[in-house]
Amino acid sequence: MTTLDNRVSSRPIPNPSKSLITKLNAGTGLVVGIIFALGTYYLLNNNSSDDATVNFQHYNRTLLASMLMWSVGFLVGIGAFIGPWRWLIGKDLTAEEQLYLAGDGQGIKRYFKYCTDHKVVGIQYLVGVITMLAVGGTMAMMIRTNLAMPGGHFITASVYNSLVGLHGITMIIAMIIVATGPFGNFIMPIMIGAADMAFPRLNALSWWVLFTAIPVLCSAWFLGGIPTGWTAYAPLSIQAGPGMNAFLATIIIFAFSTAVAGANITATVVAMRAKGMSWNRVPIFVIGATISVALAVPAFPTFMLAMIQTALDRTFMTSFFDANFGGSGWLYAHLFWIMGHPEVYVILIPGVAILMEIVPVFVRKPLFSYTSAIVGFAGIAGLSVLVWAHHMYMSGWMPMLNGPFMVTTEMISIPTGLIFLVILGTLWNGKPWLKMPMLCVYAFLWNMLVGGITGLYLSDVPADNYLHGSMYVTAHFHYTLMGSALTGAVAGLVYWFPKMTGRMFNERSSYVAFWFIQLGFQVLYLGMFTAGAEGQPRRVVDYADTFHVSNMVSTIGAYGVGIGFIVLLWGVVHSWRHGIIAPMNPWGAKTLEWTVPYPVPLVNFDTPPVVTSDPYGYGKAVK
Amino acid sequence: MSDHNAPELNPTPGERFTKFLKRKDVLETLGWAVFYTTGFVILGGKFYTKWMPTMMSTDMRAIERLMVIFTWISAPVCGFVLSMATYTFRHGHRGDTPPEDGPATRTNRLGISLFGVMSSLLALVAILYGLIELNSSAEAATKDAPNAMVVEVTGSQWVWSFNYPAQGVTSNELMLPINKPVIFKIISEDVNHSFWPVQLGVKADANRYQTTTVQTKPNKLGAFDVKCAELCGLYHAYMETNGAVVTTADFNNWVTAQGGHTA
Repeated sequence: MTTLDNRVSSRPIPNPSKSLITKLNAGTGLVVGIIFALGTYYLLNNNSSDDATVNFQHYNRTLLASMLMWSVGFLVGIGAFIGPWRWLIGKDLTAEEQLYLAGDGQGIKRYFKYCTDHKVVGIQYLVGVITMLAVGGTMAMMIRTNLAMPGGHFITASVYNSLVGLHGITMIIAMIIVATGPFGNFIMPIMIGAADMAFPRLNALSWWVLFTAIPVLCSAWFLGGIPTGWTAYAPLSIQAGPGMNAFLATIIIFAFSTAVAGANITATVVAMRAKGMSWNRVPIFVIGATISVALAVPAFPTFMLAMIQTALDRTFMTSFFDANFGGSGWLYAHLFWIMGHPEVYVILIPGVAILMEIVPVFVRKPLFSYTSAIVGFAGIAGLSVLVWAHHMYMSGWMPMLNGPFMVTTEMISIPTGLIFLVILGTLWNGKPWLKMPMLCVYAFLWNMLVGGITGLYLSDVPADNYLHGSMYVTAHFHYTLMGSALTGAVAGLVYWFPKMTGRMFNERSSYVAFWFIQLGFQVLYLGMFTAGAEGQPRRVVDYADTFHVSNMVSTIGAYGVGIGFIVLLWGVVHSWRHGIIAPMNPWGAKTLEWTVPYPVPLVNFDTPPVVTSDPYGYGKAVK
Repeated sequence: MSDHNAPELNPTPGERFTKFLKRKDVLETLGWAVFYTTGFVILGGKFYTKWMPTMMSTDMRAIERLMVIFTWISAPVCGFVLSMATYTFRHGHRGDTPPEDGPATRTNRLGISLFGVMSSLLALVAILYGLIELNSSAEAATKDAPNAMVVEVTGSQWVWSFNYPAQGVTSNELMLPINKPVIFKIISEDVNHSFWPVQLGVKADANRYQTTTVQTKPNKLGAFDVKCAELCGLYHAYMETNGAVVTTADFNNWVTAQGGHTA
């Protein structure tokens, strides 16, 4: 087999043919999942009451239960519970079965199985993320097309509102996993010299749980969409139609997946580092990914909790958030933003960390002030849990506390400054090799500058009086999430593509995509900033004629970005199939992942590596 | 190391600084820094004044001033980041082989300290300015409150309605007399809305069963827009109405025409 190195292929391919494990794959998962979902649906669905409200609640219960049972059924069908079941009856998987689960020698089939190899999980995440970004991006193009002209008759208000919400949640989920999913799973264990993740079966679980959330989210379309945006504020979410259940179930499933992945990544970095890799020798991407998931682990359960409470309000007439029966919408807003603000840094930090990993390689200088980078990340993560109510300045919840929340929010600019310092300090006195990943570093510097400064206005209470809920906010957070974090992830894709696929990323398409995306991006959000400054609210299907120029400019820019991403997608597919075969270390980098051949052996290293310095030993000695 | 070499190896900080300033890369970078900083100061002053709508209250004037000043505070940061980025980009390495190694500088105590202090000071200025602005608007509001007119604003899917309790008028348009402080008491009949009289520079959410209060003083005659700034369902985009700031006499006429009574 060409996909295996000599050492592995010389071993007999394990074939525990009697075991149930060999019979299960995503296909059986699909079948069992559908059986579970339909079974639950027909078991529960008996609308006998004359009261429409009671019927509606019962219908919500049925849908929610069916969706969650689909997820459970899929996992049963793909064999996720075989291991725990064996433990329950006092056994464990045999060594042969474990090796089979690692997908050894199974070629392309292992990508459709419950495969415990971290490299397989990394590729599964990569394909999943690209798909989600493509779907979310298509929704964005529909939104922008509708907003090109006032009148907005390209799509109806109901479809538009659904698009806004589904674009939001699809992109948020994709962005949370865009760096830690593919690169955190494929590259990071090799980077720290580990043979695999700490909990390989949990690793497979985190991906397949996430996978089950995708059809659930898609089902929202067929249940009437969601009217709430991805913030899903109560009481609008309680009033919403059956499509809302798909949203709630998606978040519940997704939060479970992040909890599993977060625990796994943290444990791997703490416990599985190579001999000699003390904390001050850990590559900065690993530090960034760890801080990011450590922030996600406490954040997402509150989101899940808020969704469960919303579901209870919708199905069992509880009143956590329904003011009509004594609940509070502010409670929901708190739970949401206590997740929501750390979440933007969960997205941002790994993207930035990828760029910090790239800069020393392409400038041929050590990372400037490694300590500042860590202090910057840790400072951002620490402060990010103290700022959530800046999303609620205008809610009327507690105007007295606006001042303190403004102070904590503006303080985040100090650790963010350190991130600039580290990158600029590394660039200074160097001659950067202007390959596409390096161009992304420059794009990041500009985008994060704009995103950061506009964030300063928004953090300020008097200015937020005007800007809150306007298009200005939309432009601001796209600069930070898309312009900064996604740019970092795209740089990581091109940078690690040779290690993940064995082929170089097509250079010309990477440059064409880069310039289309980045220039289109500036036009797109310049238009949106001006629309916001003029006073256009966000999430509107239609607008007054006065905003026409800004919106038209914005839509033109959006098409530029769209073309750029299509070129990038073409680049991925083409390079993966026909790209130039990559050498082992095309960029001349010093981190451990470049010391292993492609295809990476099952246990990554023939002999466990011993680390004697940090990976940034570039440069001529300074006199 | 012999003693007579010491002065050359250890120049005084002043000498080192002059030598640093004379470096070609430093000079070019400084040039870019001046260019970008000036550019942002000029553009920052123009962008918001050009794009933001007519200012019809002191609150709106304060907001516009604040955005301009924040842009100016950020201008040196932009100058610093963009100048170094521009210099290194211009002198970057193109080609298929990696460039030569640069100096193995891992840290620079003076640089990091200066950066830390400067960025913290800029953040402090922004924080203090914001807090002072917040306080002065709160003080002005307290001073104006006793002779303010109350308007009860009700948001419901998808209309605004305004009740003037002292005048006994209810309307779907928001009429306000000039130079008279006004207190909006805002509530929702269903889901969350956000009351946004755009040109007045105030905003507050409308919640079910919880009144939120916001105060302003219109000081310019003319029409303004009232919008909803919180996604509230199907016709959120169309939840808007007209407002106008009129003279006291016109306001009284309007109240009478609506069947209300003037004080």
